[in-house]
Amino acid sequence: MKKVTVQDQGVVEKTKCHAAAIGVAMKESVYPLTATVQYPRQRKKMPDNFRGYILFDPDKCINCWECAFICPANAIRMKEAPNKKYYPTIDYGKCIFCHFCIDSCTDSALRTTKIHDVAYKDMDEMVTLTEEMIEPPEIVREDTKLVEYLIDDKDLQMKKTREVDNLFVDEVPPSVEIPVVSQCIDGASCIGCHVCEYVCGSGAISSSIANGVMNMAIDTDNCTGCGLCVKECTMQILKLVRK
Amino acid sequence: MQEVINELLETMMSNQVSVPVIQPVIDMAAQMPMVGLGISFILWTPIFALLICPGLSTLGIFLLFFPWIERKLCARIQWRVGPREIVPWLGGLIQLLADTLRFLFQEVIVHKDAHRPYFLQFAFLSFAAALLPLLFINAGDVIAIASPYGVQLLLALVCLFPLFILGLGWASNSRFAFIGSVREAFMYFAYEIPFIIAVLAMVILFGTSNPILIPDKWGIILNPIAAFTFFVGAAMATSRMPFEIPEADQEVAAGPHVEYSGIAFGLIYVMCYEKAYILSTLMVVLFLGGGSGPDIPGLTVHLGDLMGIVWFLLKVIIVMTTMFVLRTIYPRYRLDQGLTIGWGAMIAISLVALAWSIVFVFMQQGGVL
Amino acid sequence: MEKEEQDRNMHILRTGVLSPVKRWSAKWSLWPCHFVTSCCGVELAHAFASGFDGERLGTLNMGISRQANFIIVEGTITRKMARALRIVWEQMPDPKFVNVIGACGQRGGIFWNSYNITRPSDIVPVDFFIPGCPVTPESLLRGVRAVQDKIALGKDETTIKFKKVALPSEVGQGSTIPTSPKRFAPTPLVKVDIPREVDWDFGSTTVNNLKSQLEGLYKSITITDKNRIAIKTAPENLMEVARKLSDNMGIDHTKSVNVVDVPHEQKFILEYMASSYSNNDLMPVIITLFTDIERKAEPEFPSITPLWDSADYSEREMHDFFGIKYEGNAGMNAKFLLAPETQTPLRKDFKLDEENYVFDDSPLNPKIDLPSSLEMPAPTDLYDEAEANDEFIILVGPHHTGSGHLRWILRIKGDIIVDVTPDPGYVHRSMEKIAENRLYIQNVPLFERANISDPFNMNLGYVHAIEKALSIEVPERAKYIRTLLAELSRIGAFFYDSGIFSLFTGHSTGFMYVWAIREMILEATVRMTGSRCSPSFIIPGGVRRDISKDVLDMTGNFTSAVNKRLKKFEDILINNPVFIARTKGVGVVTKQEAIKYGLVGPFLRASGVDYDIRKVEPYEVYDQLNWEVTTGDAGDCLGRYMGRYEEIKQSLSILKQTVDALKRMPRGDVISEEVLGEYKEASEDIKGHLYHAYGNLVLPKGEWTSVIESARGTLLYSIISDGDSNVPYRVRIVTPCWMNLRGIVEASKGERVADFWTIYGSFGYFPPEADR
Repeated sequence: MKKVTVQDQGVVEKTKCHAAAIGVAMKESVYPLTATVQYPRQRKKMPDNFRGYILFDPDKCINCWECAFICPANAIRMKEAPNKKYYPTIDYGKCIFCHFCIDSCTDSALRTTKIHDVAYKDMDEMVTLTEEMIEPPEIVREDTKLVEYLIDDKDLQMKKTREVDNLFVDEVPPSVEIPVVSQCIDGASCIGCHVCEYVCGSGAISSSIANGVMNMAIDTDNCTGCGLCVKECTMQILKLVRK
Repeated sequence: MQEVINELLETMMSNQVSVPVIQPVIDMAAQMPMVGLGISFILWTPIFALLICPGLSTLGIFLLFFPWIERKLCARIQWRVGPREIVPWLGGLIQLLADTLRFLFQEVIVHKDAHRPYFLQFAFLSFAAALLPLLFINAGDVIAIASPYGVQLLLALVCLFPLFILGLGWASNSRFAFIGSVREAFMYFAYEIPFIIAVLAMVILFGTSNPILIPDKWGIILNPIAAFTFFVGAAMATSRMPFEIPEADQEVAAGPHVEYSGIAFGLIYVMCYEKAYILSTLMVVLFLGGGSGPDIPGLTVHLGDLMGIVWFLLKVIIVMTTMFVLRTIYPRYRLDQGLTIGWGAMIAISLVALAWSIVFVFMQQGGVL
Repeated sequence: MEKEEQDRNMHILRTGVLSPVKRWSAKWSLWPCHFVTSCCGVELAHAFASGFDGERLGTLNMGISRQANFIIVEGTITRKMARALRIVWEQMPDPKFVNVIGACGQRGGIFWNSYNITRPSDIVPVDFFIPGCPVTPESLLRGVRAVQDKIALGKDETTIKFKKVALPSEVGQGSTIPTSPKRFAPTPLVKVDIPREVDWDFGSTTVNNLKSQLEGLYKSITITDKNRIAIKTAPENLMEVARKLSDNMGIDHTKSVNVVDVPHEQKFILEYMASSYSNNDLMPVIITLFTDIERKAEPEFPSITPLWDSADYSEREMHDFFGIKYEGNAGMNAKFLLAPETQTPLRKDFKLDEENYVFDDSPLNPKIDLPSSLEMPAPTDLYDEAEANDEFIILVGPHHTGSGHLRWILRIKGDIIVDVTPDPGYVHRSMEKIAENRLYIQNVPLFERANISDPFNMNLGYVHAIEKALSIEVPERAKYIRTLLAELSRIGAFFYDSGIFSLFTGHSTGFMYVWAIREMILEATVRMTGSRCSPSFIIPGGVRRDISKDVLDMTGNFTSAVNKRLKKFEDILINNPVFIARTKGVGVVTKQEAIKYGLVGPFLRASGVDYDIRKVEPYEVYDQLNWEVTTGDAGDCLGRYMGRYEEIKQSLSILKQTVDALKRMPRGDVISEEVLGEYKEASEDIKGHLYHAYGNLVLPKGEWTSVIESARGTLLYSIISDGDSNVPYRVRIVTPCWMNLRGIVEASKGERVADFWTIYGSFGYFPPEADR
């Protein structure tokens, strides 16, 4: 245990402290340790994992709805596209930039950018539709210099270079591939409600009747492991297992 | 009628500010009838002191650029940049012009609880009253009214300022303004006495209270204790840290200034800069040798009276900068601590300064010094 | 209405001969009236501090509404705060402009279905909306630039342009819309004293001891977890049991007061979680004293404040939330936290809006009713009473440069404060109610927003409660990373509080200096997690991903790089005789008072109590590192501050030790495989599998309580699960600032007016954390 006590200051001590305070001000007025990034003419360099606006690639989307389910602010709503699939739209009036959606997206269909400084004229424009999330957007930029914070063991340094930061991350770290497929673990309890077949976005579940008994078959080649059938199954007899 | 004008012309011509370098231009302009009269009017020393320096124009330029100096210097000390984007290559020099114009075009709100006539009057009066003390101070050889009681008159007029602040607070009729005004009233009494005694000490030292006759000796070396007391007293009078007690932003939300908006606020905002300017000019005259300075070959001769003015203004800028940079160094005292310092330590030190002056004068008269 | 007012402001600037001059001057002299409401205020302060310096654009941050012509509305505007916003906006002179920053001010952000928020665009006319949570300082300045361009050039448009790309149109299978991922048990089993087998000998002896002492007064005594004992009594015996605990066992304070609504069993469960600061053996133990009372419209129960004064404000909170009247508690006649018209929102029959996962025609903006009146009446009865006693009442806040986001009613006689009445709740964002409607993992970002100057500790406490329930063992590397993050967070919160303390004493340089140091901490955070202030990085079982080596190097460098700037701060503020004169001997809280009023954290330690949860009930790797607890005995403002300062030096040492340990350790798992289940390959980086692992987390039934030492003191989370739903039944969060509020009130009585701000600053009170 460390006990902290503060001694009273004598007159000599007080004068020294006054002098030290004035000395700091005088030194800083001559050689300041300025730490300012002069936005908008300078821009601070953000790392590649920075949580900014989100871009989407519909070709990789497996329609698992997990991004909409996991969003803590209900900012993602799935909109029906012309091909009858549901793709995410993001409402930046609610988005909290936690990137739980990106961390849930199995095939990295959602990816981040370094865009974070935007001003909207009114709230209606804050909803970004799927069509607008595919190509990188343009923002108003006035920066000519890039500032990078470097901390060595002496002090904070600001490295200023005359370049314009690329706000779009080229290398997207892929998620670990864990191939799982859906499997029925108790076929006898199946009541044939077809919920799993209807909710499957990749058409991997098919049904057939043989001898008056309903058989639900899962095509493991088409199954993307999205888990929607497992969640929706009325009797909860589906499970995700390794391929 | 003609005699009156001739009389006037004679008085004016006998007391002109002489600036050798522009004399040819003045002589040429003097040929033209009305322009000549106008120019000799402006260059008439009392009018020059009132309108140009150390009066209205210099005051105006100070109010326009000094807050910029303060903001940039304080920003530099605080590891940041201060105003810049308005004119990036000049470092944001005209920031105050934008602020002042914005105040001018902003709505002046007089809230319904305010005492309407006094609310607006005090704001404008305080600005005007700031000009009166400037009549008695000299910038080098230029002075408006050279009175043998100049220093005392200046002090008496400076003592009027707190009344305006009290008036502002009272007319606002708001709780925080009330507390701020009460604090100002208390602090006023605390700093006036040591301040007056310090000035008295210097008057005794110099043997005269006519600013023009005060010798060019540096009072800060002759009586440093009086200089210290004067400086701290001036800091208290202009509400500089650590004595920013009446207008404590975080405590009483700007005290007497809290209800003012638009141009009324603009005038009040600059009032503390005006006060600082006046007290700085007094400090320069008493302690820093007034308009004296080393002789720059070639320049002193050509500028004539203007040289004294240039030295004077440089010293005023240095004193004001020191006063305003205190904001970056110290937090603020509590009211009772400020009063204890004023009534206790400061009076003691100022009496010591007075005694020092008296001893100094005796030793001088006795031939020791 | 709003569009006309907005147009009127632009009209003023556009008409007249001098219009170009008017526009130029308004553009370069936008003085924001800093209307600080919650988390975004931290980033607003960063935007005006030395890291980004908003003053370059001419925006001088004056806090007085009459002198400002710009208002940056940030944070959640709650029903109480809505009135303040409207009044402040009306106080400002024309022409004026409004920017709303942060998701909370737009469609509510993460609090979109809270019962206590309003939309600023319904209250004042808004020029620009800035997204973000919290906004980065750059976006705030982008908003200022947008207003400048609107004034000068008339350019009123959004600063981002999206490009539309045609979506694939090959019509495929088509599928039905899935149902909500949340699962609520229809008849939840709610019991707070489910026994658990733990290896805790001291617990068994204590339970036997209790059973003999409380003969006949208890219904059951259960060990629910290590260091957790639950005592069930009948309602009439509760006070007696409490008295016996206090007299015989030295239980001297409550950590939390909780109420659980069980409508399907027609009862309320009333809980008091108490512990001891004087009895060393019992320090880690939390005894939950609970009883059942009948569920009525206005139930009554005797207050426990005559015995344990630390329960006072929490009882008032429960009164607001559930409608229970605690007899003997002085604050039962008016709402404490909530706006007057909100009715018992935490009862289970008060429903919040449900999520809509489909983009259809339903309205985008959640349905929010504005408060019936935007008038904020002054407490005139207080004024009359004060007049009679020759006292003066000043209302400090909620919009005051020195009030923070709440209102204080100061009663002063001359220059001495007679009484201080806090009026909290201006930032109450209903976190406990929202938590009952979200999946467990979705509450991680929710609770983090209680205090984003100290985000990792907010994550850590909640995640500990879940890990206790599920008995998850966190991998070693993750423990070190979490300790590193917790200490970084603690240091960041200290610098936040130092800056605010400097500002309150009038020293803006001190504020600028420490916030520049804070920029370094945020740089480290952004490189590790991707977000400056709201990382949501600590998840049950570990952390989201590992930290790379160069960021570890940078963090290690930080521990010595900070010294240069910290020395300057020390010279200019801490050793400054004026500062010491302001803080020494001011606001003394004695040891008995600190225990009685339930103070926590470094403020408790500065009054002489040696209690730090990192030593009392160690978690993560605190027991394996070399550090000391700092205490003091002065109990004044300077003592509290210097104690924290010393503590930060210890934190820097812990930080260095964890960085060195992490550099030595081989890279490996950072998420426990127990929680990942089928997805164990994601143990080094959760990317792609967050929902799979956490989307259907179900905690075993019972109450799970975790306490950790956050930057400002004891942070308590208590999760009650019914064993079936994947949504918590009740979450109780008690933040340190909430417990310290009483300390400010009591320390200020008898001091001078200007001391109130010194005391406020020394307690590091942060209203969003207190109001949750």
